[in-house]
Amino acid sequence: MAADASRTRWSPMTLLAILLAAFVMLAPLIWTLLLSLKENEALIGNSGAALSPPYTLENYRSILQGNQVFRWLLNSLIVSGGTTIGVLALCSLAGFGFARLDFPFRRTLFIFVLLGLAIPEQAVILPQHQLFADLRLHNSYPGLILPGLAGPFGVFFMTQYMRAIPKELDEAAMLDGASRFTLFWKVLMPLTLPAQATLGVFTFLGTWNAYWWPLISATRSDMYTLTVGLAAAQMNYAQTSGLGFLMAQAVFASIPIFVVYILFQKHIVRAMAGTAVK
Amino acid sequence: MRRLFAFAALLAASCSDNAGGDGRAEIYLQRFFGECGAQYGGATDVSKVEGECGIITAMINKFNANNPDVHVSSNVVAWPGYPQLSAQMAAKDPPDLVTMHTGVISDYAAEGLLEPVEPYLAEAGLSPSALTDASRSAVTIGGRLYGLPFDTHGGLFHINTKLFAEAGLMKGGKPVLPTSPEEMLAHARQFKERTGKPYLIQSLVGDNAYAARNVYTYLLAQNAVLFPNPRQIRLQTPEAARIVDFFRAITASGVSTRNQDTPAAIASFMSGEGGIYPTGTWMIGQFEAEANTPGRPLYQGYTVYPYPRLWGADVSYVSGHAWVVPRRERTPEQSRAIARFFRFVAEHNFDWARTGHLPAFKAVVESPAFKALPHRTNLVPVARTGRPLPGGVQRQNAIEGLVGEEIAAAFNGQKPTRRALADAERRVNALLAQTD
Repeated sequence: MAADASRTRWSPMTLLAILLAAFVMLAPLIWTLLLSLKENEALIGNSGAALSPPYTLENYRSILQGNQVFRWLLNSLIVSGGTTIGVLALCSLAGFGFARLDFPFRRTLFIFVLLGLAIPEQAVILPQHQLFADLRLHNSYPGLILPGLAGPFGVFFMTQYMRAIPKELDEAAMLDGASRFTLFWKVLMPLTLPAQATLGVFTFLGTWNAYWWPLISATRSDMYTLTVGLAAAQMNYAQTSGLGFLMAQAVFASIPIFVVYILFQKHIVRAMAGTAVK
Repeated sequence: MRRLFAFAALLAASCSDNAGGDGRAEIYLQRFFGECGAQYGGATDVSKVEGECGIITAMINKFNANNPDVHVSSNVVAWPGYPQLSAQMAAKDPPDLVTMHTGVISDYAAEGLLEPVEPYLAEAGLSPSALTDASRSAVTIGGRLYGLPFDTHGGLFHINTKLFAEAGLMKGGKPVLPTSPEEMLAHARQFKERTGKPYLIQSLVGDNAYAARNVYTYLLAQNAVLFPNPRQIRLQTPEAARIVDFFRAITASGVSTRNQDTPAAIASFMSGEGGIYPTGTWMIGQFEAEANTPGRPLYQGYTVYPYPRLWGADVSYVSGHAWVVPRRERTPEQSRAIARFFRFVAEHNFDWARTGHLPAFKAVVESPAFKALPHRTNLVPVARTGRPLPGGVQRQNAIEGLVGEEIAAAFNGQKPTRRALADAERRVNALLAQTD
C-alpha cells in the first residue's frame, strides 16, 4: 500500500527520469543477450547485426556441449553453497558471542575482527597460498571454501543485528532454564533470519563471482569454478570470431545469480536500503 | 557422527592425488589456446581440424592414441595461464609440460624453475640446428635452450587487395609496399584520396603490443641497441624518435584510423574499411576464411606480407610459443615420455603451421606442403629475418606493456615523442632494476 501511495506521487518527469535511468542500466544487459542470440559469423565486422533477426540458440547449445561446463557449474554451486553455509554458521556464532556474551578482551577482539575489513585479499594472497599448499588443499573443495569463511563483514553484520535484539529475551529464556546454545539456537536465530538471508545472498553472489583465488588455487580444470572455466574456454584472439559465444557464456554464468536475485530480492533491497539491521 | 565421518571421507577424497595407477607414464600438460572438447574432444586426425584449439586438441588425442604406455592429461588454463603456473610452482606442484610465450621464458628460467631441454631433445633425436634461427634464439638464454619452440609469430601487414587495386597500389597482382617512410606516407595519401578510406588500421587503444611491435621491429631493423644489458633499456635515441615521429605523422595526417581497440580494428579490416592492418600471424586463418567466403568484404581480396623495410635492414620483431619443462622430480619413464612428446610435436610442426604461425623447424619452412598453404611463400623470409628480444631480458611482457602504452600515446598525439620515449625508458628501467 505504501508503495502504491508513493508511486502515485511521482510526477511524469520523475517517471520519465526513472525509466531513462532503468534503460541506461539495462541497455548493456539487453545488448549482451541480443549478441548471445546471434550466429557468430553474423557479428564479424558488425556487432550491430544483433539488433535485427534472425536469432538462434546455437551459442547456448555449444556451451552445453562443452566437456566440463556442468562440472564447473557443480563446482561453483558446491563452493558458493558451502561458503554461504559456513559463513552463516560462523558469523552467527561470532555475532552471538560479541553481542551477547561477556568475556575478556571482547572489545579488543572485535576491533581485531573489524581490522580485517581494511585488509584486501591481495595483501594476504601469498601467505594464504603457501598455507594451503603446505596443507595440500589446492585443487580441492576445502581449498576453495575455507578462505571465504573468514568474513569480518559477516561477523560485524551479525553482531550489529544481534545487539539490536532486546536483551530481555535472553533473560526470559534463561529464567526458563535455557542453556546458552538453546538461547542462541531457539531464541535468537529465528529472529535473525532477515539478516541471515541478506548475508547469505551477498556471500553466495560474491563467491559465485570470485575469480582470483579460484584461478590460482584450482589449477586443474576438473576443479575450476564456472568463472575460471569459462575464461579458460575462450579460444579466439580478441574473441572476434566468437562474440556471440562469449556473450552466451556471460549470460549462462549469470543465470544462477539471476535466480538468486529473483528469490531473495526482498532481502537484497532491504540490505541495500540499510534496513536489514533495524 | 556418521555424517561427520562421511564429510571427512569426502574431504580426503577431494584432496587425494588423481594420478592414474595403470602403469602408464602419466604426463601432466598445461596449455592455453582455449577449450574445444565439444567440437574436437574425440578428434585424432590432425589434418581434419582447424584453429589453434582444434589442432592442439587433436594432436594430444593422437599422441595418447599412438602411445598406449603414456598418458598425457591436459589442463586448459585461462589465457595466458601464468598466474596459475606461478601458483603451481609456488606450491611445488607444477605440470610436466607447459605452453609458454618465448618472451616469458626468461622470467622462470632466471629463478631456476625450468629445466634446460637439451637432454630431452637428444633423447628425442632432435638437433637444435634443425630449428629456425628465429625460433632457436627465442628459447636460448645464456647458451642453454629452455623450451622446444613450436612456432614463430610476429607482426605482419594484412592487406585488402581490392582497396589497394582501387588506390592504384597493385602491380602484377601483388600489393606495392613502401620501401621508405616517405614512400609510405605518399602511398597512404594516394590511398586515402582514391578510396576515401584509411590506408592504415591501427589498434592504439588498449593494445600495447601494437605500438611496441612497430617500435621493436624498426629499432632492430636500424640495428639500434635496445638493451645495452639485460637490466637496461635504451629508448631515448634518434632511431626510436624517428620511428615514433613517423607513426605520429601517419596518425595526424588522417590516413589512419584513430581510437580503435583490437576488436574494432579487426572488425574494420574485415569490413573492408581500411587498406592495411598490421597485426599478428594468428589472424591469417580468420582473414583467409573471410577471403574465401562469397559476399564478404574481403572476398578474394586479401593477402599478407611481413612488415616492409622502411629503415635499415629487413628485420621483423618476433616471439613464439614453446613447450617448457618445469623443474620437478620425475621418473625416468616420465622423462622419456616428455622426449617422445617433443618428437611428436616436431613431426607435427606442419599441422600447427596451418594456424598461421610460422614453423619452428627449417625443414617445415622449406617444405612444399608449407609453401602451398595460402600466402606462406610471402612469409617464409620471417623465419630468417625474425628476431626476438635478447633472451636474458626478464619481464618482457610487462616491458611490452609499458613501452606500448607510452608509444601509443605518442602515436595518438597525446604525448610529445621525446617525453613518451623518456617516460617509457624510465618506467622500464625502474622495473628492470627490481629483477634479479
